[in-house]
Formats: sequence, structure tokens, C-alpha cells
Amino acid sequence: MSEETKAPETKAPEAEAAPEPVDPRVEKATEKLEFLRGKLLGKFGEDVLEAAELKQFQPTFTIKNANWVEVVEHFKTDSTLAFVYPQLMAGTDYKDYIEVYILLHSFTLDTDISLKTRTPRDNASVPSITHLFAGFNWEEREIYDLLGVDFPGHPDMRRIMLEDDWIGHPLRKDYVVEN
Amino acid sequence: MGEIRTEEMLMNIGPQHPSTHGVLRVVVKVDGEIITEADPVVGYLHRGTEKLAEDLQYTQIIPYTDRMDYLSSMVNNHAIVNAVEKAMDLEIPERAEYMRIIVVELNRLVSHLVFLGTYLLDLGAMTPFLYAFADREQVVDFFNRLCGARLTYNYMRVGGVKWDAPEGWLDDVRKFVPYMRSQMDMFHELVTGNEIFLQRVKGIGKFDADTALNYAMSGINLRATGFNWDLRKNKPYSIYDRFDFNVIVGENGDCFDRYMCHMNEILESLKIVEQALEQIPEGPVMGKVPKILRVPAGEYYSAVEGTRGELGVYIVSEGKDKPYRLKFRRPSFVNLQLLPEMLKGQSMANLIAILGAVDIVLGEVDA
Repeated sequence: MSEETKAPETKAPEAEAAPEPVDPRVEKATEKLEFLRGKLLGKFGEDVLEAAELKQFQPTFTIKNANWVEVVEHFKTDSTLAFVYPQLMAGTDYKDYIEVYILLHSFTLDTDISLKTRTPRDNASVPSITHLFAGFNWEEREIYDLLGVDFPGHPDMRRIMLEDDWIGHPLRKDYVVEN
Repeated sequence: MGEIRTEEMLMNIGPQHPSTHGVLRVVVKVDGEIITEADPVVGYLHRGTEKLAEDLQYTQIIPYTDRMDYLSSMVNNHAIVNAVEKAMDLEIPERAEYMRIIVVELNRLVSHLVFLGTYLLDLGAMTPFLYAFADREQVVDFFNRLCGARLTYNYMRVGGVKWDAPEGWLDDVRKFVPYMRSQMDMFHELVTGNEIFLQRVKGIGKFDADTALNYAMSGINLRATGFNWDLRKNKPYSIYDRFDFNVIVGENGDCFDRYMCHMNEILESLKIVEQALEQIPEGPVMGKVPKILRVPAGEYYSAVEGTRGELGVYIVSEGKDKPYRLKFRRPSFVNLQLLPEMLKGQSMANLIAILGAVDIVLGEVDA
């Protein structure tokens, strides 16, 4: 942990000059989080929101499963928000529940937003948002295939990576890998 | 005149067919020569990289990324190490940053050369393939001298790069830049103005920016529609803000524009390499990082501008030395989704032209 191994100082000085201990990146992200939360609560009220937090510097909102489609739709179609670019969709098995995560980008606001929703592991199901973002079509199929989450409303819900007669969903944490 | 009875036919293109660039199967319904429906079937190369990663330490994941988009392994390496470094808030030595930029841009360049060669081969022109691969060979040799591998480099580490450039390496790359520039003029003379080529690609496989955005497309497929979006400029990472280069955009979003974007991006990559060679400082190439990398508990997403688009890594960590969940946002996989729409109403001959221009790598589609 010696000093000499650190990268040569090219842009560090300003950061040192500021005495406050709060990381400016966190400050900026918190501002963004509050702004987006205001937008969300202004339209839907407290009921739809399960959590609003920063994941590193990324404002992240956990939405109730039942309100998933309308919230995503609002963020896409509201002209002041215009989160029109779907960047990422991922699913994670947290042992107690499964989470579906999307990352959207708005060119109007020049910012990203993370939205999540949860579903129980048994009969896991999250309403499909393929009709809003065609780019999530295969992503939803992949999550169905590897994590066993059903997406009601998806036009073509079948396995995409594994064979049609494959048993189980490999990315689930209790999936047993046979040798 | 008596009616001609036609019948719809179901046909399999691939999975083992050279023009599918690996193992992709496209089930097409054709009415005579015209495609009425197309359904890409993927997964023939699925190795479960994301599942395997859950049992591996972060450094051990790097060689697996080599095998995703195997035409630009350096870029994949960069995606994973960059993601882990951002999550751990690590700084890396300057020289390592420059080495990374040099190899990433060289790799982007040769991947585009492979596109050029194989695309023309798809369209029936043999010669450009041989020229393109001859030039590519030089860069592959550079990589071989640098890290001992021709395709799967495993060159980068969290905290820097594994090896510094050997004696004379940087000079040889410096000499290669003007040579490659002159070669590009040759390629343009050889291919770009060719009437037969233009007939095959102009106005074919067209889509607009809104469609591309809705389909989550990125990289050249998005930029060819005229939409200016390049992560190197729009969400700068590494040290890309220090270089002067242009984002290449098309106009019409057809196959020809995608071809031209590839060609012009080669020149931009050369520009970046040239500047990086000028600015590269002396110094260590590996920073001090903990022996065992533990990403703090939390969720992280960061992406690099891959050869084929936004190459992202989403990490869920529990604070252990292995990721709890690792998701690769693979541009080839995402970009391929539009294929059925693009193929509808096209002739069978155009299938190859359209598929080729999307520029997919099946290792990345299936991961």
C-alpha cells in the first residue's frame, strides 16, 4: 500500500483541495435520485415503490410487481423523462425471491435509471414489457430460460439458449450441475 | 392464363453454414424467392459463461471473456477489468491505460478487417478476404509478441495489464499505422466503388434510428442510422477523453452505410493508436491491487464501446471474491433481434447480405 504505486497525479489536486468528506459523485447521484423519485411519486404516489436507493452512483428503484408495466411505460412515454433507450435487462436469483432489473437511458435528461421488480421463486412471473421495448424480447426469453421467470404478455415465450426439453433453470442458485 | 400454384416452403439456413459466421440457424419460410418469415435459432454455442463465472474469482473470469467475442478479445478483457476496477474504485498506472487503449483499438481495427473480408466473401468476392487477412495477420503477430496468443489474449488484469510491450514493439506498431492507412485506400479502390457490390448493399436491410433504439441496438448498427452514440464519447471511460477522434455515423441505415462505418472506424482507430503512441509514458504497467479481489457488496454496471456495440458487465456482489451474479450485456445478441424484421419481404440472396452486415459473432450471441 505504498504511495509510489499510485498512478501519477494528473487530475487529483482539486479533489484534495475540497475539505468536505462527501464524494462529489455521491452528491450528484443523490440529487438525481431525489429528482427521479419526485417524478415517480408525483405520478403514482408511494404505493408502487418498494425501495429507492443508490447502487454505487446509480439511482435504483424497486417497483411493485403489479405496477411494473405502467411505471416503465410512464418513464418511457412521459416527454420530460423519455427513457427511450433500453440498455440492459438482467435477472438475479436472491434465494428468497427473483429480481428482474432493467437499465434505461434518457437522451433528454442525459442520465440512466435502474428499475427493478421482484417475484417469488415459485411460479415466478413478471409482466412483459416487450411491447414497450422490442429490445427486451430476447432478454426476457433468456431470463425465462436460465432463471425460470415467466413473462405474461410476451409474444414468443420459449427457451432461447437451451434445448426445449431441458429440465431446470441453470442460473437459479439451487440448480444442481450434473457431471 | 391458368393460375400458377405456389407453395410456401420451410427452409433451414445453417447451423453449419459458412455464411452464418459460426453456428446460427435461421428458419425461413419462403414463397418462391421471397422470405415471408424468419426465425433465428441461437444457443448452439451456449457454454453458460454467466453460470461458470459465479464459481470463479474475478481474475479467472478474464479468459472466459476471450471466448465470447473471439474476434475482439482485447475489448472483452477491457470490459470485465474496467467493470471490476470501477466497482472497487481502483486507479491503474498511466502506462497500463495507454497499453490498453492501443491494443483495444488495434483489436477493433482487425475485427473490422475480418468483417470486411468475410462480408465480401459472403457477397461472392474472394480477393478482399485474402488482402484483409494478410493485413490482419500483422496485428495478430503484434498481439502474439505481446502476450503469446493469437486470438484468446487474456492480456489484461484488474489493476493494469499483464505484460509491458517488448523491445521495439511500440515502434513496429508506429510503423504499421501509416501502412494500414494506405491499405485502406487500396480497399476503397478495390471494393467501395464496385458497381456489383453497390447493387447488393445499397438500400438493403434498412432501418431507422427509432427502430434501432427501440431494439436496443448499439455500435455501428445504431450509428449507421445517423444516430450519434458512442460510449467512448458519450460516457467516457478509461482515458478516451484525451484523444481526438470522430464518431462515424451513417445516413440511411442500410447495409452500405454499415460497411462504410466499419471502413471509416478503422481510420479513427488508427488515429487513436497514433496519439496513444505519442503520449504513452514510461512506468509500471500493473498497479498495486489486493491479491484477492473482493468487490464491495452491491450492484454495478459499466460498459465499454465494444467492436459490435455496448459491451456491458453487470455485477452483483456480496463482498466475496466471486461475483454473486455476473451478466454480460452482449451487443451481438441484442443486435440480432431485428433480423426477422429486416428479412421480411427480402429475397433469399439478400439474407446473406443483411445477416453479414449486422456483424455478429456467435460466441458472443450465445455466451
